[in-house]
Amino acid sequence: MSDLLFYLLGSVSLIGAVAMVLAVQPIFAAIYFIIVLIALAGIFALLGSSFMFAIQIIIYAGAIVSLILFIIMFLNIQPKNLPKEPIKTRMIVISAALVSPFSFLLIRTISHTPLQLHPLPNDFGTLKSIGASLYSSFVFPFELISLLLLVSLIGSIILTHQEKEA
Amino acid sequence: MNSWMTVVPILIMVLLSVGIIPLLIWMERRIASMVQNRLGPNRCNIHGFRLGGIVQSIADVIKLLYKEDFYPRHIRNRFLFLIAPVIVFVASFLTFAVIPFADTVTIHGHRYAMQALPTTLGILWFLALTGLGIYGIIIAGWSSHNKFGILGALRASSQLISYEIAMGLSLVSMILTYDTIHLNDMVAYQSQTFFGFLPAWGILIQPLAALIFVITAFAETNRAPFDVAEGESEIVAGYHTEYSAMKFGLFFVGEYLAMTASAALIVTLFLGGYTLPWVSTEMMLSSPDLLIGGLILGQWALFVPLMLWIRKNNLRRGVVCNGRERERHVLLWLFGSILLISTALLGTMLAGVIDPLAITLLSAGVQVGTFILKLFAVIVFFIVVRWTFPRFRYDQIQYLGWYILLPLGLINIFITAFAVIL
Repeated sequence: MSDLLFYLLGSVSLIGAVAMVLAVQPIFAAIYFIIVLIALAGIFALLGSSFMFAIQIIIYAGAIVSLILFIIMFLNIQPKNLPKEPIKTRMIVISAALVSPFSFLLIRTISHTPLQLHPLPNDFGTLKSIGASLYSSFVFPFELISLLLLVSLIGSIILTHQEKEA
Repeated sequence: MNSWMTVVPILIMVLLSVGIIPLLIWMERRIASMVQNRLGPNRCNIHGFRLGGIVQSIADVIKLLYKEDFYPRHIRNRFLFLIAPVIVFVASFLTFAVIPFADTVTIHGHRYAMQALPTTLGILWFLALTGLGIYGIIIAGWSSHNKFGILGALRASSQLISYEIAMGLSLVSMILTYDTIHLNDMVAYQSQTFFGFLPAWGILIQPLAALIFVITAFAETNRAPFDVAEGESEIVAGYHTEYSAMKFGLFFVGEYLAMTASAALIVTLFLGGYTLPWVSTEMMLSSPDLLIGGLILGQWALFVPLMLWIRKNNLRRGVVCNGRERERHVLLWLFGSILLISTALLGTMLAGVIDPLAITLLSAGVQVGTFILKLFAVIVFFIVVRWTFPRFRYDQIQYLGWYILLPLGLINIFITAFAVIL
């Protein structure tokens, strides 16, 4: 049952990703992206990491993509405003050929990784275990990332802030 | 027994979400008419049975179902147009799945969680689904190809996104207080008392977080005074301008579902959930005599005023109508016999040997009843607020969200964190 679900979710996310790249209108690309994200959240849930499942939906599907969709709608893009891409298929084939060595490496790495033989601890992927590891073993990188986010937040505010006199 | 205890919470969830919507429509219309000093719908009847006007909402539902279901010709993406109300409906329906309706029931050593989806996610599930519900509104507005639709969707989504932050912050302070994200554990925390006599309800421990959460819940459900998304004086009906028949009905039902789900969450987080104040589950299980006696008294306290009210108000002076007389008789007989039969049953239980299984089920039933009573109280509050406050201007809404609620939520988190550490 879980194998079947895994293949289903995996194929949905793959098809969604391909459709997102091929979509002409940005709003459709965003909608396919949501499908990919929800399928990925399902795969997290299959892994038993319930917290990642919830966070994937709350942060990515719930906040980020809805902001993207909001901005796309705000711009009100008409079909005639879209860029003309006469050699789109050719570009996609070329870029796929360029990326394929890396994917080969990736597949090799994953297939050579030893399987997890020990059963996972009971609290794997729950809020408590993730929070404990973030605030004990990974405190320093965690705080650094939050500092980075703060800097980018202040930067975006300063960039968009317009002086009254100008 | 095993499968029954799993099915029962799902049934309660369906009843409390979709099942009570005709009742909610009736409450909304009758309370609106009370506020506006008129009668509201009270004429629709089946053989003289008006049930105070509830029959009217059944008629409304039948009308919505049988309306012609048409698509405007300019709709280019029929699939998106069709799926949008479904997203809104499903997202708000599933929110109910994690609300605990009673404490975990233990029968013959098995523990059954009384929530439709026994997940450990708790409040994160609620946040995730409110985030997904936005897509229904955005897609509806976009696929309508209509200025009013797009304006309504823009207003609704920007409002939802900005109020989600303040809501999340108030929830963070509640999670800090309760030290858990499980709704059931939160309710267990609230069954304690502090200062010796006050029940440790969220609204008494964290009044600021409760205020922020209630305001954001109004905004998240798109209800007045935050219903600029469908401000009819400005943008017709907002994102559902182009929708008709049951496609509109799904939006309509989805809005009520979101309201009941928010009310259920407010009850669970801030009003002690399914617990009676000062009465914990263990107390109910350990003293069956008091439980049954209290149940009998509570039943009389609920039913007798209701019957007196029906007796007095189901007839109107000067209106001659045989149907009303008959309805009053039948209703009084019905409620009276229910009251007497259940009192007799409980009395025989009290007199004879008390089965522990029956006590377990009875205490779960009492908790479900308490939850429903609190839920209705919050829903009445929602409705009264809708009909007494005028609609905010759009910039006022954004000002309130970003300049007042967000800093308040942050300050509240700091205060809570200090209090928790000390």
